[in-house]
Amino acid sequence: MRIGVRRTGGFAGIERYAEVDTSERPDAGEWHALVEEAVAAGRGTPPVGVPDGFSYQITVDGETVYCADPRLTEAQSRLISQVLKEGA
Amino acid sequence: MVASSDSHVTQCHIAAMKATHPVFCTIVPPHVLDKLAQADDPDLAGPARRTLEADAAQRTHRRLTTVLGAPAATVPQGAAAGKPHRTVYDAQHGQRLPGVKVRGEGDEPGRDATVNRAYAGLGATFELLLKGFERDSIDGTGLPLVASVHYGENYGNAFWDGRQMVFGDGDEIFRDFTIPVDVIAHELAHGLTQYTANFTYFGQPGALNESVSDVFGSLVKQYVNDETADRADWLIGAGLLTERVTGVALRSMKAPGTAYDDDVLGKDPQPAKMEDYVRTGRDNGGVHINSGIPNHAFYLLATDLGGRAWERAGQIWYDTLTGGSLEVDASFADFARATVAAARARFGDGEELEALLKAWSLVGVPTG
Ligand SMILES: [Zn+2]
Repeated sequence: MRIGVRRTGGFAGIERYAEVDTSERPDAGEWHALVEEAVAAGRGTPPVGVPDGFSYQITVDGETVYCADPRLTEAQSRLISQVLKEGA
Repeated sequence: MVASSDSHVTQCHIAAMKATHPVFCTIVPPHVLDKLAQADDPDLAGPARRTLEADAAQRTHRRLTTVLGAPAATVPQGAAAGKPHRTVYDAQHGQRLPGVKVRGEGDEPGRDATVNRAYAGLGATFELLLKGFERDSIDGTGLPLVASVHYGENYGNAFWDGRQMVFGDGDEIFRDFTIPVDVIAHELAHGLTQYTANFTYFGQPGALNESVSDVFGSLVKQYVNDETADRADWLIGAGLLTERVTGVALRSMKAPGTAYDDDVLGKDPQPAKMEDYVRTGRDNGGVHINSGIPNHAFYLLATDLGGRAWERAGQIWYDTLTGGSLEVDASFADFARATVAAARARFGDGEELEALLKAWSLVGVPTG
């Protein structure tokens, strides 16, 4: 499973993208559980954001859902920071 | 929130998360990503288009947000008009707002410099609105000012959520977002715009929304430092970038496009003129990019007039923002024309009007 997180907007307006491929990972199941929860609460179109708030696209194997600060679910928040943090 | 019907995720096992290693992670400037998007990812054009299509519906929603989002907080009993009513909360690195109250109006400074900076920044913005423009808080009727600091973990951002300001402590790229007073004032100015012209946060009206925040952000900094237009640095977010980044700030109103040029961040993508307007679906249609154009027009006007920028240039912008003549989806040209009307009403056909027409002409925005 390929999990991509694209973060756009923010005060700086600078984009950030990170991707994790869970195939051949011992902890793939844990990622998949988190992804399922995060994606289930996502939206099919970008939600209305707030001024300078981050917007996120979570793309899992080519399918994309959207969410935005400050209204992330716990799972979305964890998945996003996990994907963006790991390669920083 | 609705469940996605197109998720591929089906079978899952719950277990503790472990450390992981991504295959690819980078920070790329929007203009580079635009090219990448066209080449690699057909999914990326769709969201931008859908955002545009949804924009009309969003406008209605925003109107409602403006009304319904009017803060639950009310002016405390016995509070004097013309005095700020500030409250700073500590989000304690969580994402629940507002967090724990750490400083109220009139409380002595504590040990947390971030809290003190937020409190002082709210006060400075309140003071410029009151003394410079005779406005009692961002709504004109003494609205309490609320800020939350220490939001999230490793959180390199600040935003206005429709009711309050929110500040993160920064990450590997940015320091604490309460450090530059212009950033605090920028966020609060989003509230000012929300209560007045309420520009839709997309495309040109979105870039106007951003520019107004940069203008008032810079004016508050100049007011605090008691600087004249020729001495101001006209930078937004000076002191915000960590030592890892090659740059002086996030944006430059004096020379848009020159604030940073960095291996990781890329180059500051802001244009100064209409001919370089960036068409993109990203960043809500480039609201933080194309704001460079009205930003530069303001800089040209203020430096041409000289003296304290908030007194004449700032007054024209303030009158335009609060005048009630602009639609929420105003274009740059609509805004420019409204500044001309505002300048005429306030100063007549004098040097202010002449400098204003010249400024818009230099950035390529028509006023006729
Ligand atoms: Zn902003």
